[in-house]
This record gives sequence, structure tokens and C-alpha cells, in this order.
Amino acid sequence: MSSRTHIAILMHDTLAAQGLKSIVENQFAATVHVVETEEQLMAQPADWADFIVTDAAHFVSQLPYFLPRQARTIVVAAHQAAPAPAGVTVINPHDDLDSLLTQLGRCLRTDAAAQATATPALSQRETEVLRLIASGKINKEIAGELHISLNTVLTHRKNITSKLDIKSVSGLTFYAMMNGLV
Amino acid sequence: MRKRLVMHDTKLSDIVLADPTTVTVLNRFGITLGVGDMTVKRMADDRGLDAEFFATILNTYIHEDYFPERILATFDAATIVNYLSQTNGYYEQFQLPNIERHFQLLIGKSDPQNSNLGLMLKFFHEVKQELLARIDDDRHRWFPAILAREQGTQPADDSIEDKINDLLSMFVIHLKGDYDHNLALAVLMAVVSLKKDITQNNRIRNRILRLLSQTLHS
Repeated sequence: MSSRTHIAILMHDTLAAQGLKSIVENQFAATVHVVETEEQLMAQPADWADFIVTDAAHFVSQLPYFLPRQARTIVVAAHQAAPAPAGVTVINPHDDLDSLLTQLGRCLRTDAAAQATATPALSQRETEVLRLIASGKINKEIAGELHISLNTVLTHRKNITSKLDIKSVSGLTFYAMMNGLV
Repeated sequence: MRKRLVMHDTKLSDIVLADPTTVTVLNRFGITLGVGDMTVKRMADDRGLDAEFFATILNTYIHEDYFPERILATFDAATIVNYLSQTNGYYEQFQLPNIERHFQLLIGKSDPQNSNLGLMLKFFHEVKQELLARIDDDRHRWFPAILAREQGTQPADDSIEDKINDLLSMFVIHLKGDYDHNLALAVLMAVVSLKKDITQNNRIRNRILRLLSQTLHS
């Protein structure tokens, strides 16, 4: 479900990546995706992962990609490695398990708390868009009817899907019926 | 009990105790409860199954992140088609009627003023019709074409999986009003079981069988 935290792991060390994945999935309400190459990671949509865990080598080789995402990047590196830029979380793979879990939990809790405070209710505009989706209108028609751009319609749809955790048009239509919107 | 990778010497009883929903997969291979101390290999040998295929299917079902594409691609198309046909039959004969039966009971035992449940049942009927149409297409067009090594492509389609997820969200996030809690839980568990199965089925269809069918007639 989309309310779970999604974490992407990109590391050269397959065993470390799979070990980290196993630890995170066992201890936190998170879905972990291990990606094998930088290209695979960069091919994903910008908001695909809430956090990206990587090693120092990948981080350094793709600085232009990671720096704009530093608030949600976690670098796994021993302390003797070069210092990371301010704002990037670094965890030391040589720390004991309790310490690693505490550090990871601190990062993930911050994000979960931010999500929890966001209201799941639809805005008035999103409700209007949902009503039009449920009445069978396509994006172009919705844009025309509400005098907004196609991109704005797409943004509203994305927000609706994310807030309701309902993806299909027929699912959204039944949701609208259940809530008396159509 | 912790879920471990299934090996040839794993006891079937350990697999079921760790994840009772695996009974639904065993049923497709003609295996029912009362498995004694049979191992995967011994049961496969007794029933003329390919032990490696049997173990691989169990592993992909049990472990959501385990999908050995290279191993699965080594099995012949007929073996995979046969398994997916059995799976389709299981949806038709057991899982879909089971959800529907519990849904009807839930509506019958809940507040008649609660129209949400009726609407959710209608949405389920839509998912069911889509799944039955796909099964019909598999049975009469796609699977025979693969077995005959003829042109018969099937586009990747995850809409059934999406809709089942939506149905789960309706139950878990948006359910309102008075309803029978036990029966709602029964419907929810039945839908969760179908979702798990469809997810595995779609991975095999989209990532293995589609590629195999393209290779066969290329």
C-alpha cells in the first residue's frame, strides 16, 4: 500500500544490500527495493522512493543525482571514509545492530510522522476532479470543465490516488458512489 | 514458524505450518492436508512432478521478493501453462466463490442501511468478471497458442491486481457504518489470499510465460 515507506537500496555489495533489506523489512513498516545499477535507480520516477540507501562509491559517482535528494539519502560508510556533505545521513556498517536500528528508525520515524500529520481528506478541487472521473470524463475533458491545465489534472489525480490508496478508475468510481459524490 | 526457502529435503508439513496459505498451492498439485512427513522431493517423485519446479513455485509463492527468473525460464512452456491452468481453475472453483459467499453472508448479517457493502460487492463482481474473462482467454486462445507454438501474444496487464488492491483499501481504509466484524474479516482474508495468488500468477505470466511465448514463435 502506498502509505508504507518505500526504500531503495543501491549498493555494490549484494550481500550487504540483501542483509540491509532483510533487517529493514523485519523491523520497520517499509517496502524495500534493491536496485542493481545506478541506471535502474535513475530510470525510476522522482518520487518513487521515500529514502535511498547507498554506499559511498555510488554516492560520490552520482553526486548530481544524490545531492538534490540528500534529505532522503542514507549513505552506508565506515567513519574513516571522506566526510559526507551536511544534511546527508551516514550510517556505519561496523556499528552494532542496536545502534544501526536506532539510526535507521530515527530517519524513518521523521518521515512517518510527517506523513501522519497530513490529512487524508480530499481538497475541494480534488473532490471535484474525483466526481468528474467517476462520471466517466477523461483528463482532457476534466481540464476543460474546470479550466485548469492537463498537468494540474494529473497532479490532482496523483494526489487522490495517494490519499485514498485507490488506483483504478472503477475503484475511484465506486469510492465516489460510496461517499455520495455521484 | 519462520518462513525459509523450500529445498528438496524440506518437509511439506513445515512449509504449511510456516504459511498455511500454501495449502492452496499444494491443492493445485493434487496434494491435500495429511501430508505426513513427506519431503518436497519424495512427494514430487510419488506424483510424477518435477521437484525443482514444485519447489520453485512454492518459493515464489511464499517469498514475495523471491523470483528466480533464470530458473523459471528453464522449465518448458507446457509445465508452466499446466500450472497456470490449475491456478485459473482454483480461482474459478474456490477462491472467487469463497469471497462471494462470504460477501453475501456479510451483507446479510450487516445493517441493511449500509449501502457501502453492496457497492463493494458490485466492485468485486467487476473484478471477478475481468478475471473470468482473462481465464477464458487463457483457456481458449493464449495457452493453446503457446502449446502449439503459434503466434498468440498477451499484453502485460496488471489491472486486476490494481483493482484487488483497491478493494482491500476500501475494506481497510474506507469501510464505514455497522457491519458484522467477523464476516468482514473473513472477506478481507479471502481477498488477501486472492491478491497474493494473483500477484504470483502475474509475475509468472508477465515475466516468464510472455517471454517464452515470444521465443517459441520467433
